Amino acid sequence: MLNILVCVKQVPDVNLVKIDPETGSLIRKGVPAILNPYDENALEAAIRLKEHYGGTVTCITMGPDQAEEALRECLAAGADRAVLLSDRAFANADTLATSYVIASAARLLGYFDLIFCGKESLDGATGQMASQLAERFDASQLSCVAEILELDETARSITAKRVLENGTERTRASWPCLLTVEKTNYRPRIPNLKQWKASRKAEILRYTSRTIPGLDPEKIGDPGSPTKVPRTYPPQVGERGRMLCEESPEKTVKTLLGLLADVL
Amino acid sequence: MDKHSYHDMWVYVEHDGNSVQPVSLELCCEIRKLADVAGEKLWAVIVGELAKEELARVLDCGVDKLLIVRGEGWTPFSVDAYTQLFTELCREYRPSAVFVGGSIQGRDFAPRFACRLPTGCTSDATELVYDPKTGDIEFIEPAVGGKMMAVITVPEMRPQVGTIRPGTFRYSPTGPRCCETVYEERSFPLEKIRAEILDFAPDQEDDSLNLADAEVIVCIGNAVKAEALPRYRQLAQLLGGKLACTRPVFDRGLLPFKLVIGQSGAVVKPKLLFSFGVSGAVNHVTGLSDAGCIVAVNKDPDAAIFHYSDYGIVGDMDEICDLLLQQLEG
Repeated sequence: MLNILVCVKQVPDVNLVKIDPETGSLIRKGVPAILNPYDENALEAAIRLKEHYGGTVTCITMGPDQAEEALRECLAAGADRAVLLSDRAFANADTLATSYVIASAARLLGYFDLIFCGKESLDGATGQMASQLAERFDASQLSCVAEILELDETARSITAKRVLENGTERTRASWPCLLTVEKTNYRPRIPNLKQWKASRKAEILRYTSRTIPGLDPEKIGDPGSPTKVPRTYPPQVGERGRMLCEESPEKTVKTLLGLLADVL
Repeated sequence: MDKHSYHDMWVYVEHDGNSVQPVSLELCCEIRKLADVAGEKLWAVIVGELAKEELARVLDCGVDKLLIVRGEGWTPFSVDAYTQLFTELCREYRPSAVFVGGSIQGRDFAPRFACRLPTGCTSDATELVYDPKTGDIEFIEPAVGGKMMAVITVPEMRPQVGTIRPGTFRYSPTGPRCCETVYEERSFPLEKIRAEILDFAPDQEDDSLNLADAEVIVCIGNAVKAEALPRYRQLAQLLGGKLACTRPVFDRGLLPFKLVIGQSGAVVKPKLLFSFGVSGAVNHVTGLSDAGCIVAVNKDPDAAIFHYSDYGIVGDMDEICDLLLQQLEG
């Protein structure tokens, strides 16, 4: 039976994040945490495969206790099992440390034929997790998947259409395979009330650094992260351009066209 | 790890045998400057045969050393082969940094070989600064949707790996320097390549999808209503220009990817650009930095796009578009 893992992340809705003009630091207070948008497409692709071929979908995330909410969203959408990796020792992890923890925990859950993750996260946006998870799972790798065309359970392969910079490619990869999907064909479904309610009651599997056997403390969290962020600062933004505002939109447009006369 | 035993900065030259990807040349030019500041050499790493004229373009960026890999298993590109190749090359030659263009290929394999080594990998830096005190490169990049700039370093591990988006740096060759060539004969077993390309359909050459040379562009953002699309197309036609969009518009399936302006899409340099319903996220505006005059229309007076514009109008995008159509036609 097809065994699918979807790696997800809870992120602050960065569109609502403001910057403190005094300190230049993020104001996270009151900013809702959401399931990373690209992860929703990844989950949708996984659930559709399950619906077509049978099997199970497991969702896994690393994060604080609140990240449980993101997992419940996944359960409501149709995931069968949800796993939360939460421990203060995991904090400040970059993609190398995060991919290590996720892959180490996933080994306790069985063998996965296909692994999905979002193309990038809304907050970190490095887009590196897919490649590094693929490496950790020793999996083949298909990015930019516009459409999954075929699954061959005997040959243990997956064929997908990838949209690249200058054309479209059909590629067949062997299992285990890690995939990232494009949004267009995998719009997330909206769970109904019954599914929401069931997801509230569902059990969530939890692991900490102590309950994942053999986890190397030097490879997790801050010590396990080769990239560091020594400082941040507000971006330098130029002054606003000339704002045009006449008594009516008609006049504003007329003024604009007058100003553009030598460019047009 | 003794980071001081790692020397020289590498640029991976992405090519298809006939032509080099512009991003690789942009990187050679930028890393030339960085290597000079650091007192290190610039290596260009080329896998497979490359046409002579194109090789000359690489050398013209002031490369000190060419590392040319010859053998079986490198064409077509595969993540499996290139991950292993760069892992081996980095272990043997110990470069201090490896830069890879942020193309789909680059973004697929660079974080993976960084993971296998292991070392730190950064993506999408828009500025690179060498810190002589630490010997580290500061990768400066927009973070949290462009609301802040973050300085990323790899203080202990080597090499420092970075993928950089096309169009981030300028192609400004400073001329060839005395260059040494090293050949590496090695191969990758074909049976270890786990993804097989069945076929490839190149995009149709369609001039309306080529934004690079457009003199006038009408760019629409996520605020656009699907049914309003034709009027913006009409405005673009009337201005003798082209229609373009931001990434979310592509994600909604409204316009093809080739029309996306920004870090993950096209970098444009029109004389005039109209921007409708675009918020002004950094990922998008980095694609506009060479545009001439920018006119932004947005209903949110605080929209960031106004800071990148020459003229701004706070108002309903469809209404302003209709008025432009009327007045231009009349």
